[in-house]
This record gives sequence, C-alpha cells and structure tokens, in this order.
Amino acid sequence: MTRLLKDYSGPFDPEFSHAKLERETLLAILRENSDYLRRLDGQWYVTVMQMCGNDAAFECDVKIWEKFILYELKATTDLLNIHGDDVATVVKAMQATPWMWIHDRTFELKDQSHAVITYRNCPTQVYLEKEGSGREKQICHVLERRLFEMTAHYFNPRIEVTALKLPPREKGSRISCQWEFKLDR
Amino acid sequence: MAKQLPDYSGPFNPNFNQGQLSRETLGKLLTAYSDYIRKLDGHWYLSVMQKCGNGTAFECDSEVWEEMAAYTIRTTCELLNIRGDDVEAFLKAMQVNPWTLMYKCKIELVNKDHGFITFYDCPTLEALEREGGRRWETICNDLEVRLMDVKAHAINPRIKTNPIKLPPRQPGSELCCRWELKLER
Repeated sequence: MTRLLKDYSGPFDPEFSHAKLERETLLAILRENSDYLRRLDGQWYVTVMQMCGNDAAFECDVKIWEKFILYELKATTDLLNIHGDDVATVVKAMQATPWMWIHDRTFELKDQSHAVITYRNCPTQVYLEKEGSGREKQICHVLERRLFEMTAHYFNPRIEVTALKLPPREKGSRISCQWEFKLDR
Repeated sequence: MAKQLPDYSGPFNPNFNQGQLSRETLGKLLTAYSDYIRKLDGHWYLSVMQKCGNGTAFECDSEVWEEMAAYTIRTTCELLNIRGDDVEAFLKAMQVNPWTLMYKCKIELVNKDHGFITFYDCPTLEALEREGGRRWETICNDLEVRLMDVKAHAINPRIKTNPIKLPPRQPGSELCCRWELKLER
C-alpha cells in the first residue's frame, strides 16, 4: 500500500491528487476552505459595496444566498446522508455545512423537535463591529434570519425559527446570536 | 481511536465535526466544496452583472481576484508545506489549491524552472460558451492572464507566464487553455 502524505513538501509528482494525502491533512484543507469561503464571499460583498454602494451589494448578497443555501443544503445532506423532517435533522445539516470550522457554535437539542443554537464571536459580526457602519442590522437581522428560515423549511415548512438574541451584543458578551428552532406536531 | 463515520446518518451528536468522518468521506467533501467555491464565485459575478452590468461585474471580479489569487497560493503553500521559489513550487501549489479538484488539468514539469499547465473541459469556459456572449474574452483572455501572473509572482516575481493557448477553442476540442511557466536565472 502506498504511504499517505502528510504534506506536499517532497518533489513534484505529476500524478499528485488529494487522494494521496492522509486524513489529517484532508481535514486541515477542509478547515482552511471554510475560511477561504468566508473570505471570498466577504471580499465580493465589500468590493461591490465600494463600487456600487451597500444597497446594491446587499441586494446581490440576498439574491445569491437565497439560491445558494438550497444548493448548500442539498450538497451537504446528499453527501452525508442526512435525512428527516424534524429539528434534529435541521441541526445535523447545520453542523455539517462547509462553513462549520469558522464558527464557534453550540447546538442544544432539547428533543427531536426543539433546539437552540448559539453563535459566539462570529467572525462576520466581529468584522462588522469593527467597521462600525451598522450593517449587522441587514446581514444578521434580515438576511441571516431569512437563511435560517429557509434552512429549516428545506426540511419541514412547519418548523418555526425565532431569534432569541441578535446583534448588537452586550459589552463583554461572546454571544453573537442565538436561535430557537421548534416544530409543533 | 473513535470509529470514523462514513456519513452523518446516525443520531444527533452535539459535538459532531468533520474530524469524525472517514478519509474517503473527507475526500468527497473536499471535491464537493471545491465546486461550491467555484459556484459561489460565479453566482456573485452573475448577480452583480444582472444588477449593475457586465462592466461593473468584471471590474469587481478583477478586484476580488487580484486580492484572492495571491492569498490562495500563499495559504496553500503554508498548509501543505510547499517551499521554494521556483516553477516546481508554483506547479505544486497549483495542483493542491482549492480550485484544482474542479478542473481536469495536466501539469508538466520540464525542470525546476520550466513547466506547463493545460486545462481541459474547464467548467467556467463551458458555462461561458453556453451563455454565448463571448465573455471568455474578458474572463479567460484578460483576467486569467493577469491572475496567472499574480499567482506565479506569489512564489517568485521573476517567474514568467506565457499563455500558449487561450479560448476560443476549436469545435470538439477539449483543450481550454495552456500555459508555459519559466523562471530565467
């Protein structure tokens, strides 16, 4: 059996593929890709904002993510065989998104139909706080709420999503936002 | 050692992360997320194009990628411990970067200072050909030419990039573009 590589420090291999890398390295790349996605998305937003204004950038962002969230959920659930129509399934899908490594989150599943998700020190919120323009009102209050609802409704349109905490956060608090997902049977 | 999961079909695990998945599944995720990155970037372009026109979208795209291209190479080298300032190091970084999994390409190293990259069946070019608006003239023949320089120069500003073949491609040809990389000592 060929020995798996921990990195690519050796000579050029014309047949190189990711299949030659060991598990920990694949994991490190996935982690990095998580941050890469955030940067790419953020870089686009900020560039469009500087060129065309925040309203145009936000409008594009909403349009993209309303489409993209469905693609993301399909890709993730197909790949990881996550199926069901309860809150537990929604939470599992959210745990497994490509963005998972950049977020410090806790998932409390109270029962199969009820969960609370808490985000701490969200890097997007930290960036927006530094920027100081109040854009979190749009990004977190409007777009994120819409995307959490779309995520829940992808599995079951009867799941209700409530924002328990939204930015701005209290001084010294690590909590960026907190959401409740509930399915009344 | 904890059992590695082929997927996440089992019950909710409050501590789930991708580190619990098998090597094969991580490989599949990596491929899927590579496509995800490409699609997200494409959605941003199209969304800005529809809202503000192709000129603005192309301007934003150029700005985003002039920033992101060098970052992509730098983080890839760091992550995979790719050292050196020659064409060999650059080609290794091109083999591993987050986009490569989506492209069928042949990477040839003639010697440490000289190599070729050939892209076949590029999904971006295919989309542009389907669209029929000759956008490949700006994306491939202008921006990609500049970005190949930015990427190569992240390794060594003295690496010369020469586009040997660019779109449009001959009917029935798989070949999308071909590049020569040379470092004159």
